[in-house]
Order: sequence, then C-alpha cells, then structure tokens
Amino acid sequence: MKRRDFLKFIGAGGIGTGLGILFGQAIKPPGSKLIPYLIPPEDVIPGLANWYASLCTQCSAGCGVLVKVMDGRAKKVEGNPLHPVSNGKLCVRGQSGVQTLYNPDRITGPMKRKGARGSNSFEPISWDEAIREVSGKLKELSSKGEAEKLYLLSSSLGGHLGMLADDFMAGFGSSNSIKYDLFDNRNLRYANKSTMGLDAIPHYDIENTQYLLSFGADFASTWLSPVALSRGYGEMRQGGHSARGKFVQVEPRLSLTAANADDWVPAKPGTEAILALAIAREIVESGHYKGSDVSAWKSLLAPFGRTYAAGVTDVDKGKIRTIAKEFMNARPSLAIGGESISGYSNGVSGLVAINILNHVAGNLGIEGGVQPNSSDLFAGRRADRVGPGIDALIKAANGSGIGLLLHYNNNPAFTTPGSAHAVEAIKNVPYIASFSSFMDETTALADIILPSHTSFEDWGDDFTDPAPGFQVATLMQPVVSPVFKTRSLGDTIIGLGKGVGGAAAAKMPEGTYAEHLKDSWSGLYTRNKAMNASELTFERFWRDTLAKGGWWKESKPKMSKLKVSARSAARHISKEPAKFEGDNSQYPLYLIPYAQAGHLDGRGANVPWLQELPDPITSVVWGSWVEINPKTASRLGVKMGDMVEIESPYGKILSPVFVYEGIRPDTVAVPIGQGHKLYGRYAENRGANPLEVLPPTVDSRTGAYALNSTRVRIVKTGRPGDLVKMDVSTDELGRNIVQTVPPGGAPHKDTSHH
Amino acid sequence: MDNISYNEINDDVVRTMTKTTWKYWALLIFCASMAGVLWFGAWAYQIYAGQGVTGLNTPTFWGIYLANFVFWIGISHSGTLLSAILFITATPWRRSIYRSAEAITFFSVLTAAVFIFVHMGRPWNFYWTMPYFTTRELWVNFTSPIMFDVFAISTYMTSSVIFLYFGSIPDLAAVRDKVTGWRKPVYTYLSLGWRGTDAEWHWLSKSYTFFAVFIIPLAVSVHSIVSWDFALSTVPGLNKTIFAPYFVVGAIFSGTAAIVTLMACYRKAMKVEKYITLMHFDKLCMLLLVMSLLWSYINVVEVFSGWYANTSAENETLMYRMFMKPHAYMYWLMILTNSILPLLFIFKSLRRSIFICIIVSIGINVGMWIERYLIVATSLPRKFLPNMWHDYIPSLIEISMTIGSIFFFVMLFLIFVKLWPSISIYEVKEDIGIPMRKGFKRH
Amino acid sequence: MSGILTRLKDKLASYRVPGYRTKFDYKWTMVVDLDRCNGCEACVVACYAENNLPVVGKRDCDISRRFSWIRIERYVEGTYPDVKVKFIPIMCQHCDAAPCEIGCPVYATYHNQDGLNVQVYNRCVGTFTCATYCTYDVRRFNWFTYKWDAPLEQQLNPDVTVREMGVMEKCTFCIQRIRVAKDTAKDEGRKVQEGDMKTACEQSCPTDAITFGDLNDPHSKVSKLAKSPRRYRLLEELDTDPSVIYLKRVMEDRKGSGHGTSHG
Ligand SMILES: Nc1nc2c(c(=O)[nH]1)N[C@H]1C(S)=C(S)[C@@H](COP(=O)(O)OP(=O)(O)OC[C@H]3O[C@@H](n4cnc5c(=O)[nH]c(N)nc54)[C@H](O)[C@@H]3O)O[C@H]1N2
Ligand code: SF4
Ligand code: SF4
Ligand code: SF4
Ligand code: SF4
Ligand code: SF4
Repeated sequence: MKRRDFLKFIGAGGIGTGLGILFGQAIKPPGSKLIPYLIPPEDVIPGLANWYASLCTQCSAGCGVLVKVMDGRAKKVEGNPLHPVSNGKLCVRGQSGVQTLYNPDRITGPMKRKGARGSNSFEPISWDEAIREVSGKLKELSSKGEAEKLYLLSSSLGGHLGMLADDFMAGFGSSNSIKYDLFDNRNLRYANKSTMGLDAIPHYDIENTQYLLSFGADFASTWLSPVALSRGYGEMRQGGHSARGKFVQVEPRLSLTAANADDWVPAKPGTEAILALAIAREIVESGHYKGSDVSAWKSLLAPFGRTYAAGVTDVDKGKIRTIAKEFMNARPSLAIGGESISGYSNGVSGLVAINILNHVAGNLGIEGGVQPNSSDLFAGRRADRVGPGIDALIKAANGSGIGLLLHYNNNPAFTTPGSAHAVEAIKNVPYIASFSSFMDETTALADIILPSHTSFEDWGDDFTDPAPGFQVATLMQPVVSPVFKTRSLGDTIIGLGKGVGGAAAAKMPEGTYAEHLKDSWSGLYTRNKAMNASELTFERFWRDTLAKGGWWKESKPKMSKLKVSARSAARHISKEPAKFEGDNSQYPLYLIPYAQAGHLDGRGANVPWLQELPDPITSVVWGSWVEINPKTASRLGVKMGDMVEIESPYGKILSPVFVYEGIRPDTVAVPIGQGHKLYGRYAENRGANPLEVLPPTVDSRTGAYALNSTRVRIVKTGRPGDLVKMDVSTDELGRNIVQTVPPGGAPHKDTSHH
Repeated sequence: MDNISYNEINDDVVRTMTKTTWKYWALLIFCASMAGVLWFGAWAYQIYAGQGVTGLNTPTFWGIYLANFVFWIGISHSGTLLSAILFITATPWRRSIYRSAEAITFFSVLTAAVFIFVHMGRPWNFYWTMPYFTTRELWVNFTSPIMFDVFAISTYMTSSVIFLYFGSIPDLAAVRDKVTGWRKPVYTYLSLGWRGTDAEWHWLSKSYTFFAVFIIPLAVSVHSIVSWDFALSTVPGLNKTIFAPYFVVGAIFSGTAAIVTLMACYRKAMKVEKYITLMHFDKLCMLLLVMSLLWSYINVVEVFSGWYANTSAENETLMYRMFMKPHAYMYWLMILTNSILPLLFIFKSLRRSIFICIIVSIGINVGMWIERYLIVATSLPRKFLPNMWHDYIPSLIEISMTIGSIFFFVMLFLIFVKLWPSISIYEVKEDIGIPMRKGFKRH
Repeated sequence: MSGILTRLKDKLASYRVPGYRTKFDYKWTMVVDLDRCNGCEACVVACYAENNLPVVGKRDCDISRRFSWIRIERYVEGTYPDVKVKFIPIMCQHCDAAPCEIGCPVYATYHNQDGLNVQVYNRCVGTFTCATYCTYDVRRFNWFTYKWDAPLEQQLNPDVTVREMGVMEKCTFCIQRIRVAKDTAKDEGRKVQEGDMKTACEQSCPTDAITFGDLNDPHSKVSKLAKSPRRYRLLEELDTDPSVIYLKRVMEDRKGSGHGTSHG
C-alpha cells in the first residue's frame, strides 16, 4: 500500500462534512455534546481517521497541510505531500496548529468592553448585537462624511479574504488598509522591486546551489519559508548532486542556521552590506562579470575595496577574497539576506547589495540561484501583501485621523518598538472593533470583539508568496466544527458590509463567505487556461482541488531573466555602515533582537508545546534570555543565569544571561516572542520583549521598523534570573557523540539516495 | 557475671518486658507518631500526588529512597552476621547482645523493604514483581537484578525471622513461666510447648546451628545482590566489579556500628550494664576498626580503578563525586567518619569509652548512609550524554521519609524489647558457672 | 518423571522464540543523517502531537522532567569566533541488547518479534530500573497525573493511550503506525513494504534527515543508507546494539583542534 492510499484525501465541500458541520451547527456551545455527532456525517466512522487537506496559517509561508480528524476532532497536522511548498513537511509552528485550534485561551464568543479601555474587562454579547453595533458605528462614521477615517489593521490577508476586505473598504470609502506583521519582509519586497522590478519574493533555490552565502537568513527557523528552504538545505547537503554544497553564513550571532554552516563570518553589526559589496567588487574586478555595463559596476563598486571593507566589517581581507573566489567559481551560487541584514536602519541597502552580489556572480534567473515566480497565473487581481507601514497608522491615530479601527489577528502593541507608542496611539481611536481570535495586547484595547475562527474551522485560500518558482494557490477548508462561538472573518465582513448598506453592501457577495470563495474560484477557473484545461466541469475541479489541498502547476515554468541595473542599485548603496542609537561610551553593545523558531513575532507564545520546546540553540524553555559572549560576560562580572538589565536610550528590560560563544563580544542578542502582558495563560508575564527598548526608527522607503538599530548596556542586578535551560553541559568531552567526517572524507552522498 | 544467679537473670530479663515507665511510653508514642507523620504521612501524600513530589529527575531516577534501602539492608547485616559468625566460631561474648542484634536485622530488613515500595511509581501493583501463578502466564523477569532482590530479600527476611524465633524459644518458655495475665497465653503459644527436655535442647541446638551456617552466605549474597542493582548497569560510577565485596564490607561495618550505638543506649535505658559490659564494646570496636580499614581499602580501589580506566565518563563521575557541587562535601565527611575517626579505636582506652564509641559509631552510620547516597546521587546525574546531565537534590518529602524511617525502626525496637526477651536468658546462663575460657577476662 | 521434564523443557522453550534477538520478523531501523539535520526540532513537536506527550511546565522542566521522547542534543566546540555547534536527534535507540530490558523485573519493557524495544504501560510498576540502566537517557516517567487544559485534550490521539501516573514511557518508533501498516499488509496478504508508513518524526522532518524502515528488506532505504561509510551508532562501544544508525555530519575541523570528534 502506498502512503497516498493510507491518507484519505477528502474534500469537505465535495462530500459534505465540512459544509454540513459548518452550516448545520454553525454556532454551538463548547463541549455540549459528549459524542460529536448524534447522526454522524457519512464519512465519519468512529475510530477511523480522515485526512483533510488545508493550509497552515501559523506564518505567511503558506504550507499545505493534512489534518487528521477522528470523530470530529483534529488530531494531528502533517505536511501535505503533494503540496509544493511543504512537500509533506512542517515546522514546529505548523505542527502546533492543533494547539491554536484547541487553545484554552481563545476568545469564545463576541464581547463588549465593560471597564476602562485596555483593562481587559469584557462582557459577552450575541452575534446579532455585535454586528448591529459595529454596523451602527460604521454608518455613523460615513454619515458624518468621515469614511476615510475608517482604518483596517490586520495581518497580511492572503487570497480572496484580502480581496473581500479590500472590497469592503473601497465600498465604504476608505483606502486605509494597514497590513502589518513584524516579519512581513517589506524591505525585501521593496529591494527586489526597485532593483529587479520583481514585485514578489522570488524562489531562492537552495536545493540546487553549490555555494550558499547567507547574510543572516535564519531559514532553519523563521526566514521566509522555513519548511521549503530547510528541505532545500537537506538536498543541497546530501541530495543527488555531483558535489555537496558549501554554506557560509554572515551574521553577528551564530543562529540555528549559522550553526549548520561550514563557515560562520561574524561581521560587525551594520556592516554586512559593505562586506557584500566588497565581495561583489572582487567578483567584478576579477573579470568574472561579463555584462555590458561592467564599467558602470566597476565605478559603482570602486569605493568598496578590500582594505576598506576589512577595516569596517571586522572580516579579514583574505577571507573576503576567499569568499569572493568561492562564490563566483562555484556554479551556481546563491546569496540570500535575512532579518539580521534587513533589520538595520539601512535594511533595504543591505538587501540591494545582496541582489548586486547575485547579479554580478550570475545567479539571477538560474537553477540553483534566484528564480522569479511565474507571473500571476490567476489573471485576476490579488490582494496587496504589504501596503503602508504601521507607522502611518500610529501617525493617523495620534492626529485623530482615525474614527473607527477594525483590527484582526496582528499585534502591533507587542510587535512595534515601545518608543513608537503604538498603544497610546491606538487608545486615541474613538472606537475599535477587533476580529481577533486571541486576547492579545492589541485586541484588549478594543471596544468590541467579534472573534474569528482559527484556520482549521474556516474557509480560505492563499496565493503563496514566496512560492517555489511557480504560482501556488492553496485552499483552506474547515476540518472540524467550530470549537467556540466564533465566526468566519469573511462572514463577519459580509455581515458588516450588508449592515452598513450603500456601496459597501453592493460590493458584498450574496450568501456566505464559503459560497463566495467557491464562486471566486469558479471565476478563476474560467479565466485561467491552465486550470480549466484538464478538467471537465468546475464542480469536478473544485472537488478535486479541495481534496488535493489547492491548485498548482506540476512543473516549473521557463524562467524569465532577471537583472539588476547599476543605475537602480546606485540609489540604495552607501559606504556608511548602518546607524545605531546610543552613544558608544554609554551603550557599548549592539542589540540584535531576533525571531525564534517557536514564537516567531510572539504569536507562538500561547502554545504550550512551543513554550516547552527548547530553543534549538540555547535549549531554554518557558522564558527569554540575553546572549552574551563569555569574554563580555566576565568583563561585566555576570554569569549564566544572572538577571541583568538591558538598557538602551529608549528603555530597559530584565532578562537572564545566557553565556554563548557564538556571539560577537561587542553584541548581545535577545529573542523576540516572550514578554507578553496578555495572550493567555502560557504566554503572560513570562520573559521580556526586546522591542520595548528599540528606537522608533523606520526605513522611510518601506515603513519597516529597524530591529537592529540600538546599542545597549548591560547592568547587573545581583539577582539570579529564572533561566530554565534543558542542556546542562554542551561539552562533548571527547565522547564521540556527534561524529563528523571532513568534507571529502567520505563520499558526499550515499549511493542509496532517496 | 559470676555472682549473678540464674533466677536473677530470669527476673532481670522479664523485668525489661513487664516493668514499663512513662518514659518508655512517651518515647514509643513519640517515635510512632514521628514515623507516622514523617514517613507514612509523607508516603500517603506521595502516593496521592505522584513520585513527582520527590527531587528525582531524568536521568537521576534513583535517589534517597534507594540509598535508604541499601543503607537499611546494610544495617541488617549486623545481626545475622554477628550472631551467626560469632556463634559458629563459639565466641562467648556474643551471648548477651546477639538477640537484639538479630532483632535489628529483622527490623532493618523490614524498613528496607518498605523503601522498595516507597520508591515504586505504582506500589499498589507491587505483587507483579512476585512470581505468582496467573492464567495469563505473565512471569517475572529472572534476569533483572531487581528480581534477584525480590528473592534475596524475601529469603533473607524469612530466614532471619526464623533464626531469631528458633533461638528465642527457650527464653519464651522462661517468660511464659514468669508472667501472668494476658501475657501468659501469648507466651504459652509462642513457646510452642517448650519444656526443656534433652531432646528439645538437642534439636534446638541442631537447627540453630544449621540456620547459623545457612544465614552467613545468605547475608553475604543479599548485599552482593543489592550491589548488583547498580553494578549490572552500564552507568559510570555504578558499573563496578568491586561493588559486591564493597557493599558487604560496608554492610557489616554499618551494621556493627548500629549495634554499638543501640547497645550503648539500651544498656543504659534498661539498666542491664552487668550483661552488656565494656568488654563487649571493646570487641565490637575492634571489629569496627578492621571493617573501617577494609572499607577504606576498597574505597581507594574503587577510586583508583575508575581513575585508571581513564574514560571520560568515569573521570567525570569521580570528579563530580569528590570535588564538585552539590555533593563533594558529603564525600569528604564520609572519608572523615568512615576512614579517619574509626582509627581512634586503635587505642584500647578509647574502645572502652562509651562516649567515644557512640560518637564514632553514629559517625560511621552517617558516613555509610552518605556512601550509599553518593553512589546513586553522584553517578546517575553524570551519565554518558552530557546534555542530559542533571543534579539531584532531594525534596522535603524524601528527607522527611528518610528521617521518619529511623523513628520507625526505633519504634519497632521499642516494641520488641517489651514483647520479646531481648537478652538471651539461656545463653547468658551458659556463661555462669561454666569454667572460664582461655583468654576470656571478666570485669 | 522424564515426561514431566520433557513437558517442562517444551514449555520453557516456548517462551523463547528461536532466533530471539537475532532473527526478527521485521527489523525496524532508523537512520538519522546528521549532515541533513539542521536542528529545527520539528520532529520533537511532531512526536508530542502524535504520542500524546504532556507539557510539564517551567518548574518541572527546571528539574529535568521534560517529556520529549525525541530530543535534539547540541554540543558546542571552540571559542569565538571559531565556534561549531553540532546537533544530534536522540530517541530510544531500540537496542537489540537493551540494558533497560535486563533491568525491568516485570517485563514491562521487552523485545518484541520485530526487534522493537516495547513498553507495556499497563504492566509497569515504576521501579525506574530501565531508565537508570538506559545508556541514552531516553526514558520518561509520569511523575504526576498530567492534565491538558480544556479543550486541549480534544487533540489527543486516540491511537495512542494516555499514560497514567507512575509508569515509564519512551519513544516507541510510533508502534501504532507500524501496527496499522502491519494490519493492512496482513489484510492484503503480504509483508509491510517500503513506504507503507513513516514515523511521526520522520514524516515531519523538513530536511529528510530521518529515514525509517525494515533492515531485513534489502531494498529498503534504510538498508542502503545503513551501508554508508558515514555510518556509526551512538556509544557503540557499550555494546547495546542500537537500531538507530547515525550518518556522520560532514564538517571541517575547527582550526587547531586536534581532538574531539573522530573521523573515519
Ligand atoms: N453490537 C453489540 N453491542 C454491544 C454488546 C453486544 O454484545 N453487541 N454488548 C454490550 C455490552 S454487555 C458491553 S460490556 C459493551 C462493551 O463495549 P466496549 O467497552 O466498547 O467493548 P469492546 O469493544 O470489547 O472493547 C473496547 C476497546 O477496548 C480496547 N482494549 C482492549 N484491551 C485494552 C486495554 O488494556 N487498554 C485499553 N485502553 N483498551 C483496551 C479494545 O481494543 C476495544 O477497542 O458493549 C455493549 N454493546
Ligand atoms: S513554515 Fe511553518 S508556520 Fe509557516 S506555513 Fe509552513 S508550517 Fe506553517
Ligand atoms: S519502571 Fe516500569 S518498565 Fe521500567 S523497570 Fe520498572 S517496571 Fe519495568
Ligand atoms: S535506548 Fe534506552 S530505552 Fe531504548 S532500548 Fe536502548 S536502553 Fe532501552
Ligand atoms: S519514532 Fe515516533 S515515538 Fe519515536 S521519536 Fe519518532 S515520533 Fe516519537
Ligand atoms: S526535524 Fe529533522 S532536521 Fe529538524 S531537528 Fe529533527 S531530525 Fe533534525
């Protein structure tokens, strides 16, 4: 028997379970029935598992999943083996999807604010009441002629939900859709668009590269599409290639990804762009670059001499030359830039420098290099992924420019620098309605909460970006009936639109969001030749697509050529390293706040599995820490586990010390994700949020907050911290536990490769 | 003892059983309640809440309970060995102390046995470790050292009870003949109709000799087997071929020390100084000195062989045990009490000082407890994979049960002296009127 | 008399399947390629989800009572800037000469006909012997009755029991999945074949570092990988004969490090 048979792919819409559950028992009090169904839907056999294909929404990578459902309950999430992003695999957060669904701290039904704003005191109301009240407020706003004062603040809404929200906003008469996530890669999109004209995140083909040069892209835990890229990494190392790919990581702290690199280059924080350009210069000067505009490049890169770069970056001259040589000689090679380089005050510049590097080495548009995703196969409109930055919203709120704020599932109160004063700004908004599923710091500011389903209860879709070199549309279907009295956000929007009336109502579809989704796909199907080529009817296509988890082309399309022009690049590069707030003498240490696999931007903190999952590098559980080099620690007189204050010109936080060899002596690093004041029993009052001490620096080109933009000082408290780490000793003591062979010491791959 | 009459002995011994002061009751009630609260109360809580109330962890799954188990089994060697060895070597000074020593054996095995159940995750299923017949033919695992324990300890407990009982029959009869009231039928029953005929003495002597011979290898094997619980593992610090003799020597060492302590208290409390004399202490302390030297030797061998093996695992365990937090101070305290203090007994005058005897013997018992404790508490936290190392710190519940077990043991002994002739009447009588043996001085 | 002896002999022989420990119906084996593994821990969470592992909280983590049946160990070598971190996923090694099996007085842990080290929760009396003897520290104990905050318990996998207080547990090589594969194969009148099942950790691993299969099947992936020149087994010198085979990580020596890991 093949695994494929073992997993039953079932399209809920086609067979009726999902719809039956969803519409038949749309709102059912939790735990009211011991046995989920008195008369079970026909495909439910007690004790037998059904596997439903759906979508992971724990991050924006859009992995296709299969959910094991038994007796109406979601039991396990696995990667959908047919899905080209997940390839049947999942990351730690994807695996935890069921603990989001069954999280004990979900908002269980609509609620209205009772106490003062932000006091987190609410009373339950009915859905009808809730919709009536919010539509009333909306009507009031538009009758005052202040429709522009409606703001929508949400995480990136992929697929048709985003379009529905856009329709609603447009119908209402507002253009203020703010999509914000801490790691929404807006700098990368901007850099790619302005230098390569690519309004998307391309596919970085790690799998087929022979030399990977990563500037702080922590793809093993969080960057872009960790599952897809990790799969590529495994293949690069022991895949069916002629040689094992080499991997060099440049970043100030040895991240999980750097721990897997053959070489770690801890360049001085803020100078990585200069390093990249110096490498690019070496390549151009060596004659490797054969483009017609070679002289333009030569003059553009002239200031980035090896000697200058070595002085600024703290990386050996010889090393710069070696990397340059290896990078251009290994064919294909690939440079990528992640959070640590895009998080500087000149983040876009660093990412541009990496595009230059790929361009001059000849890695653009080739297998094993940077591959553009094929043009939008849907031949229709797509929701904008990023749009204006959150700083626009804060400004508007402070200037009383917001009359009504609709909020969904993002948490700027936690994910913006404390010095940006997002909470104070949002508090200025006269009326806030939130559709969030969890009571986080931002949701608690709302006047009314209309909680949405989580992904396994809801319909949806996503046009995955970054995609694996070709366009992927993933479908999300309800795999269980709603656990609480929540609603599909699509249905809530439709309800509000209809409630408001006028143009907004006219733009709303008839019927439910589920029906709307199907209709929209029907439209896609009609417009898209590739989709309707193979199938007879839409119904048939829809059923198969639901069962399969989405639609994608089976093979990669021909790659279009990409290039970076020296002229477009010139606007972005500079000889200056990135700027850091705080005077060197007062604040001697660079602060690197970074995303950690389990918590990402803090959203994973309410999942018990992820709290108890040891950090892959430090093995710390249930808390946060600050990584300090042993030399620095001994200079400061602190040791492992001591509680210290991390103080920047903008504030201070408390955190226990983690003494770590893998960090520069002039740098400290703090993981993002803990330090929640609200967000459920597992997350609250645990650890510290490094964003609280950041300056409000944004990259003016993109509106992205610069995470790596302040210096700090470490102040001893003399108290022990609450560090709980699972590894007692990381010294192997010569016991041959993790055995190694040098490259070339054994065949790079085994004959039996799978 | 020359001027003690036969009758006086009978009277003295029966007096220890029948004349009870309020102090006795106070002590008994105190011990019983301490045992009840500290041990059985804590245990009840542990059964209710789970083994999690201990300080045990991964990888230190064995802690203070196992140390206590081994310690009490060690104590138990006092009695049997002392009584049996000295009996077959016809050493006369054993006579007035052996009965109590045998009782100590029984009570300490009992205490040890309870610790087996205390340390189990599901003690209510204890009988699954017995090879009882079931229709499912679920048998026990005869290759498990724990299984060896089950057999060894149950055999040992049974044998030591029988040994104690057989040796007591004539005395039970003597008591029967003296007591009145409710005691009369009890001792009539217990003495099994003993009349003191020649045939009865003959058979008693035969069977007692048989048990004495039988119980010596048994006692040696029991502690060897207990050592195999550790030695048959692969764990550095536990996997030691020297463990069986080390444990047996330690057992006799600690058992003898326990007897010294107890005798010192007992003779004072029961006013039987004329039966348990300084000569007895002199002999016992000599034995302690010999055992201390043997123990020290084996301890050095253990450290040496670990060091000589020079594997990272052995070295780390040794370093951890001897020089590192949190247990190193215990190691050196143990060396002081077990190897250095007993050297005082080189001097005869010190062997005859009850005060010194008590100090040193209590010291030895503390040291021997530490030895057992360190074996588990410093080996398991440093197994093969350094990532998984973890210190063990006992919880209050565990400490409470450890202290409670001492009260339990004392309580059992207190009950014993009231119910049983705790000095052998008939053997002490053998001393009287019998021509003095060579080299046997009286005082 | 001789009749009784013969009967006894037969009876005793019946307790030992011939070829026990050397000839198994299947020889389930796991190969972990340390050159692929990037330490992401997806396997760890997958195992929690599949096998109903409880979360114990910060206090119990602090005294090393975390429940993960598979853990990633990390070893750090060298000093800044010449630092190497090495990862190794460790789960029950299903030793063919398992120290834990010797220790268990009640056969709660024993070797089954597939070469698996199995754990019968119902039979365990909680003596800790197996965990003490286990050379790889993979055994986990139910120190308390663990609770799932409602409605988290709705996630529990009904194919795997929830263990009660006082019993030992550990990685089972996802025996429930093996059972399904075997039952299906039996219904179809054949043996379990390559690809019939994956363990939860293997299924989840993004880098494909974990491969599980039958070593008795010469065509299985594990059979082929097991012949790799990079093959080694953990603490092999202790002679526990593990069923988990590691493939060495390919890694440059640290500059000037003449010690540490072995090559070859
Ligand atoms: N059709 C039909 N229905 C009946 C009856 C009937 O005769 N026919 N009889 C009725 C009567 S009288 C009764 S008592 C009930 C019985 O009803 P159930 O209690 O449902 O009985 P079973 O189906 O025998 O067993 C239940 C499950 O327990 C599992 N199991 C076996 N051993 C163990 C174990 O040690 N641990 C765990 N966790 N699970 C184990 C089995 O694999 C099985 O899946 O059915 C009632 N309903
Ligand atoms: S990378 Fe992880 S969290 Fe993101 S979609 Fe994939 S499985 Fe989900
Ligand atoms: S803890 Fe359970 S499985 Fe382990 S040895 Fe004891 S009874 Fe056997
Ligand atoms: S790894 Fe440990 S638990 Fe697993 S079989 Fe080996 S000794 Fe037993
Ligand atoms: S094989 Fe199964 S039980 Fe073992 S570690 Fe992997 S997922 Fe867990
Ligand atoms: S999931 Fe795979 S790559 Fe990740 S830690 Fe586990 S074995 Fe390693």
